[in-house]
Amino acid sequence: MLAHPELDEDLRIDEAVADDPVWQTVVWNDPVNLMSYVVHVFREYFGFSRDEASRRMLAVHHEGHAVVAEGAREQMELHAQAMHDYGLWATVRRAPR
Amino acid sequence: MTADLVMLTITRIEAHHLADLVGQFVALLDETDASAADPAVARLVPDAYPDDAEAGREFRHATEHELLGRRTADAQRLLSDLTTASALEGDPEPAVEDVVDVALAPDAVRAWLRTLAALRLVIASRLGVDADDDHDHDDPRFAVYDWLGYRLDGLLAAIDGD
Repeated sequence: MLAHPELDEDLRIDEAVADDPVWQTVVWNDPVNLMSYVVHVFREYFGFSRDEASRRMLAVHHEGHAVVAEGAREQMELHAQAMHDYGLWATVRRAPR
Repeated sequence: MTADLVMLTITRIEAHHLADLVGQFVALLDETDASAADPAVARLVPDAYPDDAEAGREFRHATEHELLGRRTADAQRLLSDLTTASALEGDPEPAVEDVVDVALAPDAVRAWLRTLAALRLVIASRLGVDADDDHDHDDPRFAVYDWLGYRLDGLLAAIDGD
């Protein structure tokens, strides 16, 4: 058998991803929260610039939802909880492959 | 120090109405510890895992009680700010031009924003607002809903106007 170093390297990267899935916090559109309020929440909590916060707010508004954070599951749950504190409708999910 | 304060000028009539709404909100939170019992309270503690019932239950179990507790604390902060500003004293049916200044520290502003947003969510649930254009302009209850939005937007303009 001949080992193929590059192939082994690829395999390890794939395994690392499988062991440590990426999770997302998703904010969903609702007909109640004001656009100005959602922008404020994204700026205050996530520290987004005004432009970035507006871009994500518009994504929520027009596409029905937007991913606002990605990372470890526990962290995404903290973000979702914070969004609920603000009155935003947020969920946690495994990042789609 | 005063630079950090946001000055909210409202009529005494508004202050009374707001205190009444917030009082009802606190009572609702008090009597509804389990979200499922009331759709308006359920909206304040939404399902974080719509596709995973067990994870959703665990998340709810870990977060719901404290979250509703913070709602109550925010609402009570709002009532205490109104009281401190003497906004609720005097004639219970004051003249329309009778205004009062309410000074809000930064942490108070956060409590006010969250509470105004929550009151809108509760009223929207009661009114059956499910879509962006669900707005019956002939229904006087929408006037309260819109007024809360107007005050929320005004506070946002005061702090985010940079």
